[in-house]
Amino acid sequence: MRTKRAAVLTAVAALALGLTACGDDAGEETGSGGSDKSFAAGSTMERLNEAQAITIGTKFDQPGFGLKGLSGQPEGFDVEIAKIIASELGIPEDKIEWVEAPSKVREDVIVNETVDLVAATYTINPKRKERIAFAGPYYEAGQNIMVKKDDTSITGPDSFSDGTKKVCSVTGSTPAEEIKQYVKDVGSQLVLFDTYDKCRDALQGGQVDAVTTDNVILLGYIAKDEESFKLAGENFTKEPYGIGVQKDDTEFRDFVNDVLEAAFADGSWQQAWDDTAGTFGAELGTPPTIDRY
Amino acid sequence: MSVLIDKFDVFASGFWLTLQICFLAAIGALILGSVVAVLRISPVPPLRAVGTAYVNIFRNLPLTIVMFFAAFGLPALGSNADFLRIPGLDIVFSRLGTDLPYFRFGLIALTLYTAAFVCEALRSGVNAVPAGQAEAARSLGLTFTQNLRYVVLPQSWAASVVPLGSVIIAMIKNSALIGFFGVVGDLSATADQLTSAGGEPFIPVAIGISIGYLIMTVPLGMLLDRIEQRQAVAR
Amino acid sequence: MTTGTVDDVTTSEPLIVLESVNKWFGPLHVLDNVSLSVGRGEVVVVIGPSGSGKSTLCRTINRLEPITSGSITFDGQPLPAEGRALAKLRSEVGMVFQSFNLFAHKTILQNVTLGPIKVRREKPAAARERGLALLDRVGIANQADKFPAQLSGGQQQRVAIARALAMQPKAMLFDEPTSALDPEMVGEVLDVMTSLAREGMTMVVVTHEMGFARHAANRVVFMADGQLVEDAPPTEFFANPRSERAKDFLSKILTH
Repeated sequence: MRTKRAAVLTAVAALALGLTACGDDAGEETGSGGSDKSFAAGSTMERLNEAQAITIGTKFDQPGFGLKGLSGQPEGFDVEIAKIIASELGIPEDKIEWVEAPSKVREDVIVNETVDLVAATYTINPKRKERIAFAGPYYEAGQNIMVKKDDTSITGPDSFSDGTKKVCSVTGSTPAEEIKQYVKDVGSQLVLFDTYDKCRDALQGGQVDAVTTDNVILLGYIAKDEESFKLAGENFTKEPYGIGVQKDDTEFRDFVNDVLEAAFADGSWQQAWDDTAGTFGAELGTPPTIDRY
Repeated sequence: MSVLIDKFDVFASGFWLTLQICFLAAIGALILGSVVAVLRISPVPPLRAVGTAYVNIFRNLPLTIVMFFAAFGLPALGSNADFLRIPGLDIVFSRLGTDLPYFRFGLIALTLYTAAFVCEALRSGVNAVPAGQAEAARSLGLTFTQNLRYVVLPQSWAASVVPLGSVIIAMIKNSALIGFFGVVGDLSATADQLTSAGGEPFIPVAIGISIGYLIMTVPLGMLLDRIEQRQAVAR
Repeated sequence: MTTGTVDDVTTSEPLIVLESVNKWFGPLHVLDNVSLSVGRGEVVVVIGPSGSGKSTLCRTINRLEPITSGSITFDGQPLPAEGRALAKLRSEVGMVFQSFNLFAHKTILQNVTLGPIKVRREKPAAARERGLALLDRVGIANQADKFPAQLSGGQQQRVAIARALAMQPKAMLFDEPTSALDPEMVGEVLDVMTSLAREGMTMVVVTHEMGFARHAANRVVFMADGQLVEDAPPTEFFANPRSERAKDFLSKILTH
């Protein structure tokens, strides 16, 4: 499986770069690091390939996307996508340095060149595009609401507008900001914790009526306890996840976009999902359209 | 740095909420801490034991644990801390009176935790008063409370006020934790709001937050320096 | 202050009675089966080498030091446990400390009036008037508004005596009242104590001032190693000490 994926991806990437004749020897490169790949002189790809090392920022605390567990290595959909990109750069998995990129520093670690790219449930938005650039999207999440199984009073974000229902999210998160538009009084309706686990406990304990964040995270909780929780309605936002790179490095961004499109095409994208966040029961759906801006 | 001006209202509301909880917690901690200090120096052994146990528990637990107990233990016990919905007070401190108990839980945790340190600051002041002062007062027939009120506390105050101020400054900084225990929009949490969700650069936001805390703590620190200097002169 | 003459009060029931008193500080036996009674109007001087337990003895009488076993009665009543009753008893027993212990944050006059006003609930004006009279008596009336730190040691100790007297005590305890004083100030304090003794105040005085013991005491008590070794009138004690330890002690202090 890996060999086949690497071969196909290498071929696609090579074609995209206008190079030829690498496809045949792709089979031999597995495990050896692929130093025989060649990239345009002076490009980020060439630099990383030469160095045989890449530093990638991801979440260490996001189940299904980037979670550093007992293995000591982060695991999840974001991590798998990043591995695909590294592999196409000719860098083996064990040469990847993983750096935790919590939400608040994601732009900074890119701008400061602490990392070469960020794959960290990173929603593409115009404000962020002022400082960095996004390849992708490679996944489209959406904010949803989780309630107790027997709750019929909450059907969507508009259920908070009468000022009685209490909703929980995580401090400083995009979903927390988003839901502020729907609640009548933030001070008496919105509860923020540092983790979603605490929100789930508060929902279970009855201190709040709902938990809101991206659907995949909620699906993770529901998968663990289907007796207690359910989603209330459809996603009410679109959160396209992208790969964060240097703002002016269009060459590298194009390369990543090519890699992503190839992964969409050859099934490795679906496989990455099925191995990670897909185990929560969420459908991946059809590949999103890469936004080459 | 334009974020400081563009998002001034966000900073300001965070500052106001932090100021509110700090003001209330400082008053609560000073009252509770004084009571515990009196217990700790009382001549009655069981009361002393209660005071000592209190300090040993709350001084030696991380504040996050105390916050955790307040935010998750109290509701498990069926309490929404409704006794803090004090009529009148909730006009100024609007979060005290809401249905959501987390502001009150945070206030309770901060008060309980800080009271242990207030107690020790007061007690260190009491210990700084020579034992002969209290002995002389006892030999005149003053009761324990009279002794404290007329002889020991007036003299210990001078030695207590600077450590007390440090305790309050530490409390203001500690209040940054409430944003992770259910309370929306304190000064520290505005940093997360602006950076993680708002995409603002981290450093200017951190500077703005720092300025907010410094506005609260620096004048307090300078006041303490003044008091300390005046005491040095008086000596 | 106690009225009446020395002769008629000493005959009645003793004011202070210690019976088989033991006190341990951990492994240290500081009071070893001490029995002592002090009659009304009597002046008892306690002497002995340092560490003999004489200060501790003095402090047990108003329960500043609790005892391990035995009994102490004051004016016919056993010493109460810590609480209001004990506070009341202490208000009837004046105490003067080696290190004066004047209230540092209060003026001289406030030092003297605090007890009467807060403990005896006297009217401030009356307490003030009597306080000034007492300060006048110990020779410090013109310093009434100063703070303790502004006075010399001898002056402070005289204030401390006035403070104790302001409570109109039935007895006075002196715990080495002159030991912390510069030599030139010892006299002024002893003068006040001597005049008190002449007026018939019941006094227990722990001191090294043998002159005071000779001319002001009714009895001298000699202590060593926590035991009460001798109890005799001063003339008899100084002229003819019976125990070896007393002889040894006297020879050491009198040769200087």
